[in-house]
Amino acid sequence: MAIKTKKRVTMKDFSTPSESLAEFDPEETIDLPAPYDKIEELPGYKQMKEGTRDRLEASLDDTIAVGIPKPESKEEEEKLVEAFLRGLHNLFSKENNWTFLQPLTLSMEHCARCQTCVDDCPIYEASGKEEIYRPTFRAEVLRRLYYKYEKGGNKLFKKFQQGDIDANWTMISRLLELSYRCTLCRRCAQSCPIGVDNGLITHELRKIFSMEMGLAPKELHEKGTVQQLEVGSSTGMNKVAVMDNVEFIDEDMTDRSGIKVETKWDVEGADVLLIHNAGEFLAWPENPGCFALLLDAAGISWTLSSDLVGYDGVNYGLFYDDAQLARVAMKHLDIAKKLKVKKIVMGECGHEHKALGVIADRIFSGSIPRESAMTLMEDIVFNSNLEFDPERNDFPVTLHDPCNMARSMGIVEPQRRVLRKLAPQFREMTPHGVRNYCCGGGSGFAIMSGNNFTDWRVQVSGRKKFKQILDAFSDVDPGPETKKYVCAPCSNCKGQIRDLFEYYGATEKSGLYYGGLVELIVNSMKLLKEPFIDWEMM
Amino acid sequence: MSILHLLVYASALLFVIMIVVRGMRIARTPVHLRWELYPVPHEKGRADHGGSRLEQIDWWTHPIEKDHLGELKVMVPEILFLKAVKEHNPKLWFATFALHFGLYMLIGVMAVAMLGGLLQGLGVITVAAGNESAIGIIAKVFQYIFQLGCILGAVGAILMLYKRIFDSGMRLYATPSHFFNLFLMGAISISGTFWVGSDPNFATNFAGIYSALFTVSPMPELSAQALNHIGIVLLFVVYLPFTHMTHFFTKYFTYHQVRWEDSNVVGKMGDQLAAQLDQKVSWGAPHINGGGKKNWVDIATSSGKEEKN
Repeated sequence: MAIKTKKRVTMKDFSTPSESLAEFDPEETIDLPAPYDKIEELPGYKQMKEGTRDRLEASLDDTIAVGIPKPESKEEEEKLVEAFLRGLHNLFSKENNWTFLQPLTLSMEHCARCQTCVDDCPIYEASGKEEIYRPTFRAEVLRRLYYKYEKGGNKLFKKFQQGDIDANWTMISRLLELSYRCTLCRRCAQSCPIGVDNGLITHELRKIFSMEMGLAPKELHEKGTVQQLEVGSSTGMNKVAVMDNVEFIDEDMTDRSGIKVETKWDVEGADVLLIHNAGEFLAWPENPGCFALLLDAAGISWTLSSDLVGYDGVNYGLFYDDAQLARVAMKHLDIAKKLKVKKIVMGECGHEHKALGVIADRIFSGSIPRESAMTLMEDIVFNSNLEFDPERNDFPVTLHDPCNMARSMGIVEPQRRVLRKLAPQFREMTPHGVRNYCCGGGSGFAIMSGNNFTDWRVQVSGRKKFKQILDAFSDVDPGPETKKYVCAPCSNCKGQIRDLFEYYGATEKSGLYYGGLVELIVNSMKLLKEPFIDWEMM
Repeated sequence: MSILHLLVYASALLFVIMIVVRGMRIARTPVHLRWELYPVPHEKGRADHGGSRLEQIDWWTHPIEKDHLGELKVMVPEILFLKAVKEHNPKLWFATFALHFGLYMLIGVMAVAMLGGLLQGLGVITVAAGNESAIGIIAKVFQYIFQLGCILGAVGAILMLYKRIFDSGMRLYATPSHFFNLFLMGAISISGTFWVGSDPNFATNFAGIYSALFTVSPMPELSAQALNHIGIVLLFVVYLPFTHMTHFFTKYFTYHQVRWEDSNVVGKMGDQLAAQLDQKVSWGAPHINGGGKKNWVDIATSSGKEEKN
């Protein structure tokens, strides 16, 4: 287990000033199989820079996700507490939070505190059952605040029923950080016999901080949704940059495949508006390249959009802020309407799927339908005239299920059918599908790397997934000579898996590689003279 | 009409009113955004692997097929046997199962006694346990079920109290009410054991109470044990609607209106959503700056930049 405390942290401890409530201890983490079982051979846990705790609020544990400056005076602290309580009030008002009020109040008012959910949390488990990472801990803090400051009724009776808590700045600043120690994977919610959803509670908690206090990780807000709405993409790419990049990708794909690849831009009346996570253009260019090749080969009428936001399916608002979520989603919808496409196809990005596919569904009522790239690819593989040679994929392959695609949308089988047909050595992880483990980079973590947060997410939040990946290949040669492919059809998951593999040296030690689904499909297309996947370039 | 009559009528009325109020309050909360969680058991042909209709190409062109029997297949074992606890928290399962199932048995017997009392009040039957008539045999069987339910409930309450006290993970999150609730449910079971064990006319009296309540006629002669049990049950009945134990019915909402609620905009939902989008927002962060003046459409169609000015 990872994080060690001297004693169980209580609600009172949480409000009481102290340097830290938990610290990382590699001896306490869950075990990994060889060759990752020797702690002394791993890079270690990078500590926060000296003086960080003096400048920033960092008294939760030994990492920082948000890192806000410490208030300079007691008055400033009080103002922040007041702002939090205003946000709490808004969170439970119909006008300000109709979006999630019913599920939230149901989860607030009916938890039996039976702790049935806790062992389903990969962070809690991988941390060695650290109290503050228990999925019910932050929920309990918010629940007590709700009853004390928002819910009507006799004070004594409420205290008797729900316990007590005092809102002070120590507690609120810790709660802000603690809301970013959960990936919102909702695995815990699946096990609740009552239907309480601690993932939702964390999501709602983040909204208080962002929507009332303007506090969120800069990677999600300033560099995320704000930049996306202003420049066009959370990557910082504007229209010119993205088109330039794609032109280069097309040329490269043409060279590698021997087939002319030409991405379509702004084609009015196309059947499909394909929206990728723009991170793909920079970090994994072969992914949009393969889509272009595949869709053309299958004879599909498709286009990308060069409009502001239209070429980036990212919507980090999903993780922390309903206003930003709505703004980005509305842009996507407007662009699709303007182009008069028949449907939007969501690329290999889990949270884009959830934001556009289900969360925005009731706002997009009766307008352009959205479809998963998984089903489109399945349709092409099984129903088009294209021919495939599965032998080209004859290496061990496993599938990572993005939580947003599987658990939140029920898109489970299409990608599996493709792999069963095209990857002879496909094997499942355990558990998989809707019971999968999060990659550890969910809810925006994969792009958050300030201070030493990357160390926390590769050693704590992603540890369970890394173990699961290793276990999935336990029946084959463990060495690097046997190349092993982790198919992760989601940009954020790939970002986290990349960081996991880099930290643990998994490519060098175990021959672990990762990529999307479309790359495997293109790799096996008979239209290409040679297999597409080049291990050296991965 | 006796004091007991009044207490029962008042408790039952308060219970019903509070449950209806609570249920209405939940039902009237605004339509929320979709937040389903798979597996969704009504997904016909897909529930086994946790799939949804979104797995189909052009899914919106296919008819929506719901398998409501699939929902029952999940809910029945969940409600009766607490399947989720058994799978995810096996160490707690027997204690909570015993507590819940014991209570189910008592409620079941109460329902039968109520029916018997009603029929007796109407002069259709006479409830007397132990005689050789069919009614007598049924009454005896339900007396045993009551006895077993009391024992199971008492064992469950004691074991749950033990867990709440000695399991450090549970103790940390327990509030005084958790102990009180278990104490109360344990007291119901134990007082019930005393009543059924000491009253040779238990079934006759149990049905007789309901008969008296339905016909507003004199109560049967009740022992101190019976009155103790009834008193504790009435206390529980008036207390329960104010606690988290209302999950016995709010579970309907958590499952059917959140976890399994995967419908697109249907019926009046579109109008409701339009009205909700028209509501004024008062979130105060600089990128929203609602101030109670802008509605959700204003917010969603702006970039967030101008709000800061």
